[in-house]
Amino acid sequence: MRNSWTIFKRELRQYFVSPIAYMVAFAVLVLLGLSFNTDLDYRVSNLLPPEGTLVLSTFAFLMVFFAPLLTMRLFAEEAREGTLELMMSMPIRDVDLVLGKFFGAWAFYTVILALTSVYQIALLWVTNWDADPGVLRARLDTGEVIAAYIGIWLYGGATISIGLFFSAVTENQIIAGFLSMAVLLMLWVGDIAGLVPASILSTDVVESLRVISLQSHYSSSFLRGLIVMEDVYFYIALIVVVLFMTTRLVESRRWR
Amino acid sequence: MIEVKNLVKRFGDFTALNKISFKAYEGEILGFLGPNGAGKTTTMRILTGYMPPTAGQATVAGHDVFSQSLSVRRQIGYLPETVPLYPDMTVRGYVEFIAELRGVPDRRTRAREVLEMVGMSERARSLIRTISKGMRQRVGLAQALVHDPPVLILDEPTIGLDPHQVADLRDFIRSLGKQRTVMFSTHILSEAEQVCDRVVIINNGEIVATGAPLELRQKLEANSRIFVRIQGRAGSKAIVKMLTAIKGVRHVAEYQDGFLVTTSTNQEIRPRLAAVLMENGLELLELRPMAVTLEEIFLEYTQGDKLA
Repeated sequence: MRNSWTIFKRELRQYFVSPIAYMVAFAVLVLLGLSFNTDLDYRVSNLLPPEGTLVLSTFAFLMVFFAPLLTMRLFAEEAREGTLELMMSMPIRDVDLVLGKFFGAWAFYTVILALTSVYQIALLWVTNWDADPGVLRARLDTGEVIAAYIGIWLYGGATISIGLFFSAVTENQIIAGFLSMAVLLMLWVGDIAGLVPASILSTDVVESLRVISLQSHYSSSFLRGLIVMEDVYFYIALIVVVLFMTTRLVESRRWR
Repeated sequence: MIEVKNLVKRFGDFTALNKISFKAYEGEILGFLGPNGAGKTTTMRILTGYMPPTAGQATVAGHDVFSQSLSVRRQIGYLPETVPLYPDMTVRGYVEFIAELRGVPDRRTRAREVLEMVGMSERARSLIRTISKGMRQRVGLAQALVHDPPVLILDEPTIGLDPHQVADLRDFIRSLGKQRTVMFSTHILSEAEQVCDRVVIINNGEIVATGAPLELRQKLEANSRIFVRIQGRAGSKAIVKMLTAIKGVRHVAEYQDGFLVTTSTNQEIRPRLAAVLMENGLELLELRPMAVTLEEIFLEYTQGDKLA
């Protein structure tokens, strides 16, 4: 555990000295800011209640592309630079290395996720001035927003574990990033499988695709303010399984 | 400290190490000598717990490298061939990071100490990406020394350094060898001769010779060799015959623009050789003993490795 902590600290610090992490944070905020602004404008002019979860569902979609950017270097870079050889001859277990890296990346993800709270603060601000005309009429549903944050946080952990896995697959960061992006996108669109008519795809297939889709486990629960334990377990189990596979993959380097 | 017995490592069909055995004793500097691709790095990777052997046994300080891998790794400081550095960290940050992973109690002080030892104190705050190749090597060495390991394994530590840095590093390795077991690989023979107490020569995954540099030399000097050059008679078969007839000569071969005469040990045949040539009216241009260097021992033992 102590060793994981050491790795964790280094990985997290590494994000703050790496340009790509700042670029991801910047891109996330710009893109979310645009959609937030458009939505807010629309709601204000149509006298609709505020919707705090909109930025989060957009954010979740962006993670399909940004999680690989954050994770692709984790193992691939070390393998190429030769530092992985050093790490693997340190008196630490392979699982410590995997856990340290995973939590380091997840912590940085948490930081970016926390940045999106500016939009919630903005919503709280505009919805609290009841007397002022031209602002939103209803208050922000903070309970719903908090549940959504928990869901998106767990979902982010899952995307990062998958990115970490592919980073351990290859020494090439681009390939690692591309593979995890492809897989995350497939897991994302799995949800849409429900739209395919039963005559084309049997409902069993559709249902199993939907069950493993990452989106379906927050869109109908956390995003609506519900904390469904089934979905919490889904993400945790997914993370555990993928981290286990990653550990075995790292170990397998020794046998090659 | 290091004991390797019948170690085998296969990568698929390729046998990288074929039943190698050797020992490194406490406080000894062991040179691991061999051409590129001989199996030096593979052996070191097995000893450092990076990869398990296919068969055979290796122990470091009494711990088995496979079943007690973590204990072995604690005993070893390892500098791989490509110095494993994180370019975005500072020199001190990096050494402290390794110290923390190694469980060094007072890592700040210890990091300062080892950086002092390798002469990198002044650049402790620099980012690793900004320092030169020689400095990187020294930082890598600081990393390997940070937990004061009883066994130090260095994979081609002098590669890519300028002659001045190489000399410094050799001195440094020699000073390290006083308190601990150092095993270092090289394909530079004079280096092994200067630094090591003992050398192990490896070729094509097999140990071909072991011994002190001096011992190995003496073994070969059992056949001492003399180079003879005669005016206008390079490559003459008649002369080969004439020389072979001299008592004490074991073998005569054409060599460059003269002849290479191999004699039995302790047979001083130079006067007789000169006399025979005079008698036959030949003009002797050159007569000199050929010193045996580690280079030749190496070539002799790794001959099968020539390019076709």
